[in-house]
Amino acid sequence: MEEPNTVEFQLLAAGLAIGLGTIGPGIGIGIGFSRAMEAIGRNPEASGTLFVPYILGLALTEAMAIYALVIGLILIFAVG
Amino acid sequence: MVGALMASFLLLAATVWLARRGTLVPSRFQALVEFPIEWLAGIVRGTGGKRWAEFAGLVIAIFLFVLVANFIGLLPGVGVVGITVEGEHGEELLVPFVRAAAADLNFTLGLALIAFVAFIAWGIRANGVGGYLKELLIAEPAYMTPLLTPIHIISELSRLISLSMRLFGNVFAGEVLLAVILALVPLFVPVVFLGLEAIFGFVQALVFALLTMTYITLAIAEHRQHGEGDAHSGDTHAGHEPEEPEAQPAPGMA
Repeated sequence: MEEPNTVEFQLLAAGLAIGLGTIGPGIGIGIGFSRAMEAIGRNPEASGTLFVPYILGLALTEAMAIYALVIGLILIFAVG
Repeated sequence: MVGALMASFLLLAATVWLARRGTLVPSRFQALVEFPIEWLAGIVRGTGGKRWAEFAGLVIAIFLFVLVANFIGLLPGVGVVGITVEGEHGEELLVPFVRAAAADLNFTLGLALIAFVAFIAWGIRANGVGGYLKELLIAEPAYMTPLLTPIHIISELSRLISLSMRLFGNVFAGEVLLAVILALVPLFVPVVFLGLEAIFGFVQALVFALLTMTYITLAIAEHRQHGEGDAHSGDTHAGHEPEEPEAQPAPGMA
């Protein structure tokens, strides 16, 4: 029986990690953005006060995707 | 590295120029340079708590540095013009003269280390070494300590990783995205993505600066929140069954 090619499996795993890992943050950022737009639509004067909390929430939601990216980079460059 | 040096020289030149030629009634260029500083100082004043003036300089410096470095990375010729060397397996590798600074993990990790040291230092200055260690090592209900302390420490360290990897990932992915789009549709379409990358460069610089500000503010405010938490847990102990795990301040935003 032939030995499986581990490099190809590493690349596949890295692709799966980043692909599946961005689903959750994508949904999260979408929900946050839609709520922010809704709030601005109801109360246009609030856009200034909403800006900073929105950016921070976006950054913290995005952190999950960043962890997936880290795992992907580890799989490609650090393992094996 | 050259990109980061270019960014710092550009900022240095603007600083020297403003220090020499700055006037009370700003000229057009002076207004252009002062605008982002005043805008960000306003944000820091609004959300940074009582001691905002102490760390406003650091936050603004990080913002301007990352912003200029990101925009330099978008200039034509950056990351493309360079010399070719022979790679490990005999293939040709392009070593560009100037790369987008944040597409190198060393740049972002260095900045994140500065932010990391800064918010720990501010935490220690505000609460003392004992207060900081107590906050880090001992959880709110004492019996939860073995469970929560590792989570605390990991969440502190994950700030370092998420700060540096966020900027690196965004800028690096932006470079790759532009290259892929250029290969797919060479005309007109890349312009849209270049504009998108400019927005991302601005947003990521802002995110880095605002997260640094938030971490410092949290580190300063921890002591006060801790005191409130103590009073609160005393109440619940006297009253009904304890609900501290939900009621206590969040251990940290990662």
